Amino acid sequence: MNGMNHDISIRIDGHSVPARPGESVLDVARRAGAHVPTLCHDPRLEPAAVCRSCLVEIEGQARLQPACSFQASPGLVVRTDSPRVRKHRQVLASLYMADHRLADGLPQRSPAGSSLRGFAKAAGPLIQLHPVHSPRAGRPGDHNPYIGFDPGLCILCARCTRYCDQVHGAGAIALAERGRATTVSTNGGAGLLHSSCELCGGCVDTCPTGAMFDKKPSHHLPGQLRRVRTTCGFCGVGCQLDLNVKGGRVIKVTAPAPGQTINDGNLCVKGRFAYDFIHHQDRLTQPMLRDGDGRLRPSTWPRALERVATGLKRVQERWGSGALGFVSSSRCTSEENYLLQKLARAVFGTNNCHQCAAT
Amino acid sequence: MLGAGAMTNSVTEIRDTDLLFVIGSNTTEAHPVIAMEMKRAVRRGARLIVADPRAIWLTRIADMHMQLAPGTDVWLLNAMARVIITEGLVDSAFIQAHTSRFDAVVQAVAEYTLDRAEQVTGVPAADIRRAARSYATTSKAGIYYTLGVTEHSHGTDNVYALANLVLMTGHLGRRGAGLNPLRGQNNVQGANDAGASPVFFPGYQRVDDPEPRSRFERAWGVDLPAEPGLNLNAMFRALARRDIKGLFVMGEDPAMSEANASAVERALRACEFLVVQDIFPSLTSRHAHVVLPAACFAEKDGVFTNTDRRVQLVRKAVEPPGQARADWEILCDLARAAGYPMPHYSGPAQIYAEMAALAPRFAGISHGRIQREGGLQWPCPSPDHPGTPTLHVGGPINGRAEFKVVHYRPSAELPDGDYPLVLSTGRTLFHYNAGSQTRRDPGTVAKQPESFVQVHPDDAGPMGLTDGQRVRVISRRGAVDARLVLSRQVLPGCTWMPLHFAEASANKLTNDAGDTVTGTAEYKVCAVRIEPTPPT
Amino acid sequence: MERKNATREQVLLLLEQAGELSPALVRQVERQTGVPEAEIWGTARFYSLLSERSAALLLCRGLTCKLAGSRQLAAHLEQRGEPYRSVSCLGQCDRAPVALDQDLLVRHGRARGAVSPDDPDLPINLAGQDDASFAALHRARQLGPSAVLDTIEASGLQGRGGAGFPAHAKWRAVRAQASPLRHVVCNADEGEPGTFKDREIALRRPYRLIEGLAIAAWTVGAGTIHIFVRGEFPRVRAGLEQAIAAVGEALSGLDFRFVAGHGAYICGEETALIQAMEGRRGTPRIKPPFPTQVGLHGQPTLVHNVETLACLPSILLRGGEWFRAQGRTEPGSKLYCVTGHVHRPGVYELPLGVTLDDLVDQAGGYVGSPRAFCPGGASSGFLPMSMRDRPLDFQGLARIGSMLGSAGVVVMNDTVNMAQAALQQSIFFEDESCGQCAPCRIGTQVLRQALARFLAEGSPGALNGLDSVSWEMEQASLCGLGMVASRPYTSARRYFPGDFQPASSPEVS
Ligand SMILES: Cc1cc2nc3c(=O)[nH]c(=O)nc-3n(C[C@H](O)[C@H](O)[C@H](O)COP(=O)(O)O)c2cc1C
Ligand code: SF4
Ligand code: SF4
Ligand code: SF4
Ligand code: FES
Repeated sequence: MNGMNHDISIRIDGHSVPARPGESVLDVARRAGAHVPTLCHDPRLEPAAVCRSCLVEIEGQARLQPACSFQASPGLVVRTDSPRVRKHRQVLASLYMADHRLADGLPQRSPAGSSLRGFAKAAGPLIQLHPVHSPRAGRPGDHNPYIGFDPGLCILCARCTRYCDQVHGAGAIALAERGRATTVSTNGGAGLLHSSCELCGGCVDTCPTGAMFDKKPSHHLPGQLRRVRTTCGFCGVGCQLDLNVKGGRVIKVTAPAPGQTINDGNLCVKGRFAYDFIHHQDRLTQPMLRDGDGRLRPSTWPRALERVATGLKRVQERWGSGALGFVSSSRCTSEENYLLQKLARAVFGTNNCHQCAAT
Repeated sequence: MLGAGAMTNSVTEIRDTDLLFVIGSNTTEAHPVIAMEMKRAVRRGARLIVADPRAIWLTRIADMHMQLAPGTDVWLLNAMARVIITEGLVDSAFIQAHTSRFDAVVQAVAEYTLDRAEQVTGVPAADIRRAARSYATTSKAGIYYTLGVTEHSHGTDNVYALANLVLMTGHLGRRGAGLNPLRGQNNVQGANDAGASPVFFPGYQRVDDPEPRSRFERAWGVDLPAEPGLNLNAMFRALARRDIKGLFVMGEDPAMSEANASAVERALRACEFLVVQDIFPSLTSRHAHVVLPAACFAEKDGVFTNTDRRVQLVRKAVEPPGQARADWEILCDLARAAGYPMPHYSGPAQIYAEMAALAPRFAGISHGRIQREGGLQWPCPSPDHPGTPTLHVGGPINGRAEFKVVHYRPSAELPDGDYPLVLSTGRTLFHYNAGSQTRRDPGTVAKQPESFVQVHPDDAGPMGLTDGQRVRVISRRGAVDARLVLSRQVLPGCTWMPLHFAEASANKLTNDAGDTVTGTAEYKVCAVRIEPTPPT
Repeated sequence: MERKNATREQVLLLLEQAGELSPALVRQVERQTGVPEAEIWGTARFYSLLSERSAALLLCRGLTCKLAGSRQLAAHLEQRGEPYRSVSCLGQCDRAPVALDQDLLVRHGRARGAVSPDDPDLPINLAGQDDASFAALHRARQLGPSAVLDTIEASGLQGRGGAGFPAHAKWRAVRAQASPLRHVVCNADEGEPGTFKDREIALRRPYRLIEGLAIAAWTVGAGTIHIFVRGEFPRVRAGLEQAIAAVGEALSGLDFRFVAGHGAYICGEETALIQAMEGRRGTPRIKPPFPTQVGLHGQPTLVHNVETLACLPSILLRGGEWFRAQGRTEPGSKLYCVTGHVHRPGVYELPLGVTLDDLVDQAGGYVGSPRAFCPGGASSGFLPMSMRDRPLDFQGLARIGSMLGSAGVVVMNDTVNMAQAALQQSIFFEDESCGQCAPCRIGTQVLRQALARFLAEGSPGALNGLDSVSWEMEQASLCGLGMVASRPYTSARRYFPGDFQPASSPEVS
């Protein structure tokens, strides 16, 4: 992009691969098809290099280096699959398993849910270590209805806290305590409703273990979910989101992976959580007509449509087309707006057709 | 004057913009995910200049906050223009090649001196100068604005004044450089695009232009009216005068969302024939003669066009409840019931195809393409056109862009002895519009359960009002109760209320004085007084 | 996202001044600094002196104090009804066993340790008369930066904080940076168990240190000098402040600032130190970039240990060659701390590269029959007496998988069970791991737990897998703490296999 960035090349597992100077070894390696596991990496965040899953061998470096933060420079020689790297992954995974439960069998958890399980599986046979019992505190008194935290699953990758800080700027959660007691906390462990949290749920989506989880569908047992990619119906940003459907109901909303859509994996509280209205009991479910006595009463579609058509026609006949007005909606689809203006213009002969244009 | 009424740039360009000038947009609450892009730009080192009467969240990370008095935008912007001109920071080559009537603006802004601008707007002269210099001298500089700019009786003037800055600096037609209205609702852009407008057919083709009209007449098989219709604001005035007798309302709640809502509600009550098609009962549907149950976004297919002109698919995930049906199905049946031979569309894809065939701007867009390629940004004139992330590359799309002379006009209603405070209204993060959806969800309600009014401590003190107290906010048009929140986000003399709460509908207070061009009401400035709520 | 105008570096100071940590206090500090409350809370809870403030005494549970009878001291306190809390090494190992009071002053402990007798030919000469003439600083100014750099290079001065990195190379790296804003940081966070030499330098020869800092700052073009003093050393800070105030004029133009530690060993690591100075959690940063490139507030920063800096005045005055010649196997003299089973614990300035026996000679000889020693604090692991005649230097010890580190030598006699001693050090590392990276956070727990189980049950099966875990900690940890945290175990097992046989678990002292 910036004319001064000449392409360079580095060697990955014996193959020469083009790269940009300063690009992470991880990005280059993945582009070249090498398998480099990551847990604390999220392309939207500055690298923390704390999970250590992505360590690779780099010629000239005595120690293994994190691919996620190590920058490419001309002639770099990288090995992602040496015996040393493999042994490292195996022992690291064994350590993780000594300290963390997996989300297996728990009610619906985050979609990633199990990068940790994947890492452990790929790392080969694990060393059996006695479990340690890190005293990570949770937030038992947090009654917010959307976001839960299960410290037993948390690997302290700090994706949630970095997301909250770097992407959302809310700074509602941060790492607290030290060493084995390190955990994710608000000020004093208060509930999220009493924090600067804006309930965007980005922490849930970025969490690689399901420790940060969506509480709403927790009464649904795990099972087949159908995911339907759609466009958020609230504000004009046009975030893409996935409606997760089970038994004919939307039971949760997730964000597409970063890098795929305009919202880069992000959503706000409305798009991610405010979907209860879809199946709300207050929804209008049948056409209604006003009676002689002035009450709205349920009716049928044919009668209601007939009444609308004749009602509008009557106004048009008595007072002219100019006495009709059509209010369209920015909430409806473009096709529906197209049809409404067609209805106004072609059927009832008026250009009195508008929507809340300025908003 | 740039002829699109849409963002000139893409949301994804924000991240590598070098200067963001955000005016009249509480982006973190109204467009949270765009605000994330702005934060990303700032993290990368971009400068951020905020102009807003309130100390909104973005001011926390901004290099500069110009806290102007509500409604004085033209003063601020013309004074910036004057600095840019007098200091020789204009892009003469761009002005010569791509614009007209620059001289008129040079003359017009001459009287907008920094000293007087400081007096009127309350923004220190040095800040205005610094902002003008930064903006003019940064090549990747983008302007972002929302309703704080447009929802005024002089909203169009504000936009012209911004466009003048863009044109005189040539900050247009490049990645990151441009003029970007952030549209508030999911498909406000798409609804405009599709012709939900009294003056335009789909694709911004004027109804009083015979060429497109005859094309539409041929396609639809009927004669079409040539006279432009009434805009929304005018429509409700006509309704109040009983000039409009029959009203069809799809998916809106004007009794809640229109300014001077009490008057709107009176007019609706008197309406001879009112049809409301919606997903929930509303203030408006209370007065309807017929209520038609519609499907929500999760229950139908179609497209929404977002604020950066991106046409994206909406996909059906679940069935509508009971007998509710998709709006498009209802509209087709209704047209037939009224005797018009509406085609039996196989679905929204076919409807879109009909529209695209009639509107050159969308001619290359189809459901099939979006399905395969993801969202497409118009203009997209042919199926092999990739869409247009940045508008006006190589020059304004409609040829030479004309500078517009704008002069300051005070807001229609200013505070006085009886109504001493200025009220502005707006959105909050946790709710959406009339709240029909967000106020049915536990978390958004827990975070923000009820309406409130922000008042500066300097104003509340002398009135003997305290934080958390129930107060009555009264304007010439109505009164609502809300909880008082002492806040230094607002300037002394100013107050602010959210618009999402039906039981405290801020629009009972707002002024329906419409913008001379768009008819948009003055939601951002009206005069009120505040009293303790009388005990019941 | 940092708020514009946030004053994050104030956070820890404000918390320290305010008293008991509470959510309400955190909110107040948020208003004062513009840092989000959760971050303030999370930061405060990282530091033991901020998060756990109670009236209780702080009782050291470090290895040296254990050897010297901290168990008896604990019993004594219990008897007298004095509440106490066991904490990591307090940096008073010469006075072991030690307990500090609320003001972090020594309440229980022996007399301060010995130092080498006054000898003007010693580069630091702890027992000498401190002088505030700043002759070396004047000399440096006369020579000019490039001659000063050459002198430092000729002296062969290696960093005394642990890594032994050539000093001149760091100075040159800082000077090569474009940024005109540069910093010099004095690392006086001395926390390695068995080490208390920096404390003695600051208390006895404050001007040696201050002058060294002034020379460094002048040479690398740094405007600000920051002195980061371990929180448990209030007297060190007070002494330095007084010394600086006393000279007035001579230091004009230099901006000295003090930053207090708040109870976290890891903050001795230079990037964690910088984090703490910026008001953040003391978690080490990824290197590269190094502090010389991106340090305090993102600006080039020269971090040096107290002792390294204190060597500078005599190098400038007597020349690089002279300093180099003071060493035996490597350049210069070295302050060796020695504690444990020796007669006169203390700090002895000897040629770099002396042997254990040379050192213990100075310290009045061994108590009992020596069995093992740590050449450089907990981080160096244990060595058997067969290595008593190896030079105690940087490169030689590194070659055998140990390290000179801060030269905190701890001697153990044959009453000590080495599995037990390894457990002791493992507890230290587990307590002091910052917890940021998994190999160290989990590995230190696995190690400590396995050693404890082995000692309790006597079954070597408890130790299964520890070799791999140790290897992984060493290979994959983010910083030096995790890299060395398994050494006590690996070295004890290697050199004292007998102590890891079934059912060999007599208690240490
Ligand atoms: C876990 C850990 C603890 C450390 N503690 C100290 C310390 O207390 N004092 C110190 O000067 N250096 C300490 N260091 C070394 C510093 O990181 C750094 O190398 C040193 O301050 C540089 O100064 P020097 O070049 O003068 O040695 C520590 C390193 C690690 C990895
Ligand atoms: S909750 Fe999840 S994202 Fe947050 S630190 Fe733990 S594992 Fe990482
Ligand atoms: S998720 Fe939030 S920001 Fe995105 S479109 Fe929906 S309401 Fe707007
Ligand atoms: S090695 Fe230990 S102390 Fe160092 S960063 Fe990792 S967890 Fe923290
Ligand atoms: S992904 Fe690189 S260390 Fe975690």
